[in-house]
Amino acid sequence: MRSARAWCWWLSSALLIVLTVSGCPKKPPPPGEAGFGGAGGVGTSGGMGESGFPPPGETTQKEIDLGPERGGPLQDIHFAYDSFELSSEARDILRANATWLQKNAQAKVEVEGHCDERGTVEYNLALGAKRARAARDYLVSLGVAPERLSTISYGEELPLCKESNESCWQQNRRAHFLVLNR
Amino acid sequence: MSRCGWFARQVGWWTLLECLMLVGPPSLVHAQIKIEVPEPGGAGLPIAISPLKSLDSEGGGRRLGEEFADIIARDLDLSGLFKVIDRGAYIEGPAGLSLEEINFQNWSALGALALVKGGLSLDGDGVTVEVRLFDVAQRKQLGDGKRYRGERKDLRRMAHRFADQIMLFLTGEQGPFDSQIAFVSKRGGGRAKEIYVTDLTGLKVTQITKDRTLSLGPSWNPAADKLLYFSYKQGGPYPYLVDLLSGQESRLYPVVGYSGRWSPDGTMIAVSLEQQGNSDLFLLSPEGRLMRRLTEHSDIDVSPTWSLDSRGIAFCSSRSGSPQIYVMNVNSGSVRRLTFRGDYNTSPSWSPKGNLIAYTSRAGGFRIMTIDVDGGDPQEVTAGEDPSWSPDGRYLVFSHGGRLYIASKDGRSVKQLTGGRGDDTSPAWSARLK
Repeated sequence: MRSARAWCWWLSSALLIVLTVSGCPKKPPPPGEAGFGGAGGVGTSGGMGESGFPPPGETTQKEIDLGPERGGPLQDIHFAYDSFELSSEARDILRANATWLQKNAQAKVEVEGHCDERGTVEYNLALGAKRARAARDYLVSLGVAPERLSTISYGEELPLCKESNESCWQQNRRAHFLVLNR
Repeated sequence: MSRCGWFARQVGWWTLLECLMLVGPPSLVHAQIKIEVPEPGGAGLPIAISPLKSLDSEGGGRRLGEEFADIIARDLDLSGLFKVIDRGAYIEGPAGLSLEEINFQNWSALGALALVKGGLSLDGDGVTVEVRLFDVAQRKQLGDGKRYRGERKDLRRMAHRFADQIMLFLTGEQGPFDSQIAFVSKRGGGRAKEIYVTDLTGLKVTQITKDRTLSLGPSWNPAADKLLYFSYKQGGPYPYLVDLLSGQESRLYPVVGYSGRWSPDGTMIAVSLEQQGNSDLFLLSPEGRLMRRLTEHSDIDVSPTWSLDSRGIAFCSSRSGSPQIYVMNVNSGSVRRLTFRGDYNTSPSWSPKGNLIAYTSRAGGFRIMTIDVDGGDPQEVTAGEDPSWSPDGRYLVFSHGGRLYIASKDGRSVKQLTGGRGDDTSPAWSARLK
């Protein structure tokens, strides 16, 4: 935990310094490149929709507010190995999280998908995205407005627990709910 | 030779010449020198690598001459084909560069079958190296000597190049050592992951990204002067491109993605990009514009890797319910499943020299496997993850326990490339440098 906090503190301060010094946010993407189906979209089977992609420049705000990984008002949910299925326990937690979100109507949340260390990096990034999306979709089905929820996958890159055993892996296979503002 | 004859009839006499060159060296060498073509993981061909003689009196030359020998020794050790005889045992000094000057008994007494000798001269910042390979028993020079000219900083590459030549003389195929390996590491401390590049000694490591965030999944362009990678520095992870010569960085298509590989012909980049939680495969232009969508499936498609002719892509997909390797024809879009054994097969890498695909398989621990692209039984190489082929298709670099290793493709030789300082993962082996 100490290292996790140090990391967050460090990242937040570094970003603050960068922003203070440069005095301006990162450049937005050039026009026409902000999503699929725009410039150059010569899809064989149709382009992708354009929804769900915040312009990368907007994410800077989120990084400044990067909070502690564990804790926060919303509880983590956990997954089985190589699975993004929501267990009944996970659904219970998501219902509680949805209730909190309804009481705190201004809050926006980034849903982080995480994996344990077992597996290869690229596949785990894709799996983490599936986990984050599954949690986000369930919250939406419970009535949380989709625009309040964004997702990000960290794959196996940010484990909570560093030991190589099942109880540790279990903690790492999670979706975490980072409240971006209240 | 019948194949060469056929080719020659098809496309003209020059091809015949090329075939002769390809077929010639191993048998010729074999006949002349009676050195057995070494095999990986065997006892190793005993070779002595003399430090270069400094051809002028300047003091720095001696150290450079030793460094040159050290690099060749390191490369040949990594090849798994040689047993490099320890320098401390050498009887004869660096002097004596010609057949007449070398006392071959001094080398045969050490058991050496092959010997490298050479000299270097310094001219300001410039270095000229002349180096030769000898057959100790036959007291003959093997192949042509080589002369390299460059700046002092180029000395390492000269050594790697000559190691590649030694491999050519003794195995019939140029070695893979004048190349680079990109990888991800936490060696800078903390949880940040940055992209690094090392030469094949594993010791000359250059840090490429300094973003103090997570930078992942490096992949080389065919010219080996640009890297594609994915970084969280602006949220994401988004794909970025860095030009290693100018240091200039650009962002590619601004959509979250997890893996990408350049086509060998340099005209396309295959990437896995995410939308609404699911990753599919797409083609980007080298400048990062979206060209074409390759897969549209509700399950994970990730880790594309190209066939040498840039017409096929192998990738990992969970469409069968567990991650497995699939092969796609890029033009027709047809997809077939390649792996059927086990319930976790990921991170494919297509050999630049033929039909083998290496990948990671979970069976107890994680193992590097190879499988023929036409199917058949997978072969285990060794324990590890995330394989990437050498440019000559004889070796794989991979990670295991946070260190990088190089194995011969049959797994009989496994050598450690990077040390235990940090958490080194996701290696990508470049093409041979130009």
